[in-house]
Amino acid sequence: MEAMYTFFMDKAGMGELGAHITVAAIMASLMFIVMALCAIIFTWMERKVAGFLQSRYGPMRTGRWHGWAQAVADMLKILGKEDIIPAEADKGLFVFAPLLVLLGSLLAWAAIPWAPDFVAADLDLGLFYIFAVSSLVVIGILMAGWASNNKWSLYGAARGAAQMVSYEIPLALAAIPVVMYTGSLNTQDIVIAQQGGIWNWFFLRNPFLFVAFIMYFIASIAETNRGPFDMPETESELVSGYHTEYTGMRFAFFFLAEYANLFLVSMIAVMIFLGGWWSPIPGLDFAPALTFIIKGVIMVFMNMWVRWTLPRVRVDQLMHLCWKVMIPITLICVIGAGLWMMASGAAS
Amino acid sequence: MAQYFADIYQAVSSAIQGMGITIKHIYRKPVTLQYPDERQVMPERFRGFVHNDMTKCDSCNICAKLCPVDCIYIESEGKGKERMMTRYAIDYNKCIWCSLCTENCHTGSITMSHDYDHSVYDRRTLVYEFMDPREEKIPCHRATRTEMGWWVEPKEEKKKPVPAPATDTPATDAPPATEDDKGDDS
Repeated sequence: MEAMYTFFMDKAGMGELGAHITVAAIMASLMFIVMALCAIIFTWMERKVAGFLQSRYGPMRTGRWHGWAQAVADMLKILGKEDIIPAEADKGLFVFAPLLVLLGSLLAWAAIPWAPDFVAADLDLGLFYIFAVSSLVVIGILMAGWASNNKWSLYGAARGAAQMVSYEIPLALAAIPVVMYTGSLNTQDIVIAQQGGIWNWFFLRNPFLFVAFIMYFIASIAETNRGPFDMPETESELVSGYHTEYTGMRFAFFFLAEYANLFLVSMIAVMIFLGGWWSPIPGLDFAPALTFIIKGVIMVFMNMWVRWTLPRVRVDQLMHLCWKVMIPITLICVIGAGLWMMASGAAS
Repeated sequence: MAQYFADIYQAVSSAIQGMGITIKHIYRKPVTLQYPDERQVMPERFRGFVHNDMTKCDSCNICAKLCPVDCIYIESEGKGKERMMTRYAIDYNKCIWCSLCTENCHTGSITMSHDYDHSVYDRRTLVYEFMDPREEKIPCHRATRTEMGWWVEPKEEKKKPVPAPATDTPATDAPPATEDDKGDDS
């Protein structure tokens, strides 16, 4: 990042402001491209994983090898679809909602540390910023459901809002022990604190952190609205939830945001619990960005595995799980990790 | 309170058990058959689309008469030794795959094949014509068939049951010939 700034300031002869704007534009478009690629690769991966978990193949015919071009074909199809805005819909909100959902996800991508010197926005409040902006998604979903003027959409949006607002609490609480250990909210500092092989990664530091990792994983599934917590979308009861009325490109935005969010929560899990870009064996850090992405894809696979195994829970079970089980357990984790730090002398 | 922890334990253990079951399927060979490329091997007596070998068929009309849904259309012209078949068609809009035609075909020309994927865009194309009317007509009478070099059902097969019952061979020899004649005339 510093190298990029100095390049634009010294070599290209731009002013400080010009260099900042150029770097920001490059990073934003890079993040957006990676995000779009993610959506395409993960839709294909989701269908293949779902297939193999059920002893079948998934897409096989588009493209030569294992239907690799299926997601590309789907995207092209979706781009060619008619853009329909319902007559009774609130047009302004209807058009703006998918953008807001995508924005919430894209903003959070800014603070992801891909490699030792490569993070779009190296913020001191990085982790806090990620949790803050990713809650924009809730507003987008609620807007989409309300603007559609459709009972199924509204049900889905209300459920989605209730679920995501609730699960943000255990999500953030599960990350607190890590912040306590690191003493910083900066995403790079959190990763650097896990140096030295797999035993120094936070999820194996002590039992409370391991439980916090599991809690984070469960809350992140609920946060991305995926099965077994896909209450906002429940295709068997609500038609498709908050994006029932959306077609073509606007639907593609929701779709993109869903998979971007999936990779986002997986990357946060990797960042705060699974050692970020450090390789499991110390001294093998020759490709930190690749290590980071591979770990992220493994977490995405875990998400898919859970989705295609467990049945959907009821709304009351969902809320019970959040408020009566996960929040107490994460609170115990916070206290326990603190006591462990005191006992082991890590606290200064 | 004990129930609360029991519930948590049950949820965690059953989720892990379920995920263990699904992960096993990743290593298992998928059961899917890649249909147009791979096909199921049909059992020997599978009733697929009916096939009629036109070099064997002598237009005896038994199949058309037996057919409970009248889906076999046979047309012929002429009488006696002059009789020629001009059309043999099976209407698969009607066919119920009962296999009565194949079981009673005395020449063994009509058989059940193993084909099953004959989807069409227009149901009128499901009437399968086995003869092209522009080509040569198929003789029906036994004598004409042997004369013109068409396949004729061997006589030996009919004679075989004859020696077993008793000595009166000439009596049994005559009826099959007359039966054939009658069948051809009708």
